[in-house]
Amino acid sequence: MTISTGTKSPVEQTTVTLGRSLRVALLHGREEASRRAVAQLALASGTEIVARVRATDPRSFVEAAQALRDAKPDVVIIQGGAKDQAALAELLEALRLGCAAQRPAPRIFALVDDGVAQAIRPRADPFQFETFATGIEMVEALRDLRRAGNESTELRDALIEDAARALAATNRTAALAIDVTERSTSLVLVRADGRLEAAHLVPLGLGMGADHVVVRASLDNVRRWLPWPIDAPALLERVFSRPRRPGDLPTTEAVLLEMALAREAIAHALRDVAEAGHDVPAMRSAPAILVTGRVASLPKPGQSLLVLVDGLEPTAVTTVFREPDDGGAERIGMVVPVTTRKSAKIRLVRASGRSTVRVEPRSFGLVQIGDDVDVAVNGAGIRGHGRSGELGVLIDARGRPLSLPERDGERIPAVARWHAALDAATP
Amino acid sequence: MTWHRERWNADHSLPIGVTKRAQVGDLVRAGDIIAAGATLAGALRVPGARRLGLSPSDFDRELRVRVGSDVVARTVLARVGRRFARSVTAPIDGRLLHVTVEGDVYIAPIVDRWSVRATLDGVVSRSDDAVVEIEGEAWCLQGAAAYGPDAIGELTLGVDGPNADLAPTRIDVRLAGRIIVGGARMSAEVITRAHACGIAGLVAGGVPPAGLRVVYGDAVTASGSPSRDDRPTVLCLMGFGSAGLPPAVYEPFAALAGARAAIHTTSARLFVFSTADIGRAEMPSPDVVMGEGPAAYAPADRPVADADQGDGDREEQPQADEELTQSPSDRNSAER
Repeated sequence: MTISTGTKSPVEQTTVTLGRSLRVALLHGREEASRRAVAQLALASGTEIVARVRATDPRSFVEAAQALRDAKPDVVIIQGGAKDQAALAELLEALRLGCAAQRPAPRIFALVDDGVAQAIRPRADPFQFETFATGIEMVEALRDLRRAGNESTELRDALIEDAARALAATNRTAALAIDVTERSTSLVLVRADGRLEAAHLVPLGLGMGADHVVVRASLDNVRRWLPWPIDAPALLERVFSRPRRPGDLPTTEAVLLEMALAREAIAHALRDVAEAGHDVPAMRSAPAILVTGRVASLPKPGQSLLVLVDGLEPTAVTTVFREPDDGGAERIGMVVPVTTRKSAKIRLVRASGRSTVRVEPRSFGLVQIGDDVDVAVNGAGIRGHGRSGELGVLIDARGRPLSLPERDGERIPAVARWHAALDAATP
Repeated sequence: MTWHRERWNADHSLPIGVTKRAQVGDLVRAGDIIAAGATLAGALRVPGARRLGLSPSDFDRELRVRVGSDVVARTVLARVGRRFARSVTAPIDGRLLHVTVEGDVYIAPIVDRWSVRATLDGVVSRSDDAVVEIEGEAWCLQGAAAYGPDAIGELTLGVDGPNADLAPTRIDVRLAGRIIVGGARMSAEVITRAHACGIAGLVAGGVPPAGLRVVYGDAVTASGSPSRDDRPTVLCLMGFGSAGLPPAVYEPFAALAGARAAIHTTSARLFVFSTADIGRAEMPSPDVVMGEGPAAYAPADRPVADADQGDGDREEQPQADEELTQSPSDRNSAER
């Protein structure tokens, strides 16, 4: 990846990777807040969650120890309050039984207060036990482990976060960055005041992680986005074979399958993010959205836009950018989500004048309004402003949450129409 | 993908509850039991050091039963004092599983027994409660993904050509205990029938993922799913769906047929224990390297196999559970 530091400055070459795959086990207290805290730490640090054990886990001591042994964690993250001290001590005994012989031994990262840390530290023997004052420190420590000692390596997730910050700072609004790669899916929300919520899900992507998308989101959920009938075994075979065909030229079907997987990867990432307690409504209503990675590298901007709209289901007026790995950022369009039960009008105001657009329920289509102009939108329960990009303004009146017809006979024509509306059905 | 003959490592993860295991330096053959142990149910925590009035560090010294030993109810686990003795006894039949930092002990009832067999001829290079690793020389074929438990058996060709599909009708109980080499594709019906007939394992160019889901469940992924439970063992060599085997991969199967073999599912490798000269060693298959589709099968001169070809006939039966030698540590505990 090339990072430009300005038009006149020399270009700095750096290595951007997903880093070493880091397996983490989460041991947390009985409170829901504790579960969310460890989940947020794991998601923010781009690690793979291989085991979760709650202080009140119904599994027996032996079962918990076996689960931790089978998980082979590199790091065990612990979080809990004083009430959970005894239960966490018991879980550490299970960890000792399960992983004492593991090589290299797992390290324990604890986000607990001093009293709890002092009480459970002896139980962590012989593992390396480290406490952290804040979650940010722990995330940095986990990322250092992923860098595997190579300080010159730039982690992709850190770069995505920087991009989201830059977008938020430029627009002075909240900004969301969505990155979908071969084996990871990231959602990074930066609010106008600079606060950041990040989730980097591994393995969940379009290449090596494509089968995980099917496992987590179900095959039917992937299939529903394809504008042609396909039976489950044939689709499954294509998904499983994707990681082994990296050099294939993109055919129409391959691109559409990739789009279907990307939608579900984003939708599933949103579910995980919601479970971890992140603010999903804020992500859906971010006024600026940047798409990167494989979704941004789709042949046409309409394909990137369609994946974003279907996967994220924005609920507010949004300006969408995309930045492929081998290219610069471009503004591709503006999304106006409209929820209406009857025909409605919305007004589009720009410097050159104003126009009114009639919106039918469940309609979906672009309004050509000129390249890259400021547009204010008002009416039908929606209000906001943004910039039309290369494609113009996309008015999405399909409703929220987006529901697809169950029957192939109704669903396939509808999905085909949506693809056609954004010229996304051809490579 | 190609055949290689060199030294390999194969690690064998052990469940909790190991009783006996091979020691570093032991010579083992594929199929030998290298570890055995007990499946344990919910453990009971019994106060130890506190009951005896000892510090946790002193409690270990007073333990009369080695951790990992089987005990019967009312066995004295630890005892202090003479005239006014205090003791810790086992409340149930089971295994002394673990001693906590506080000096308490966990005792778990035994509900079953397990054993782990070697998948490589060689020397034990690492042995602890979590893993036994073996280093040894063998012919090896690296597959794309493997499913199910490790398998050991005689290598048997189940198809007439590299692009043929293995038909369910070719599977019967006479092939029990063998590793069957299918051709381009292996259906779910073949997998389940083979398991029912006692086939040790199946090797094929490709397996339909939908079939894998039928057998192993919806959580199955392209990276494989090694397991310990009683399930079929399948090794996908090329990928998923249908994948004809290139001649460089298929022809050596003919030369190695009858030899002992093992599927190590964690690494998705097929090991074959034979000194046969399969000719194309170390030469990658151009079809695979170039990433092209399945190659047409072109009959070639069959590679010359050494006298080891009949290895399968002289094959020793896998070591039975009761033949496992008791480890020195266990003898010590028994002597107590």
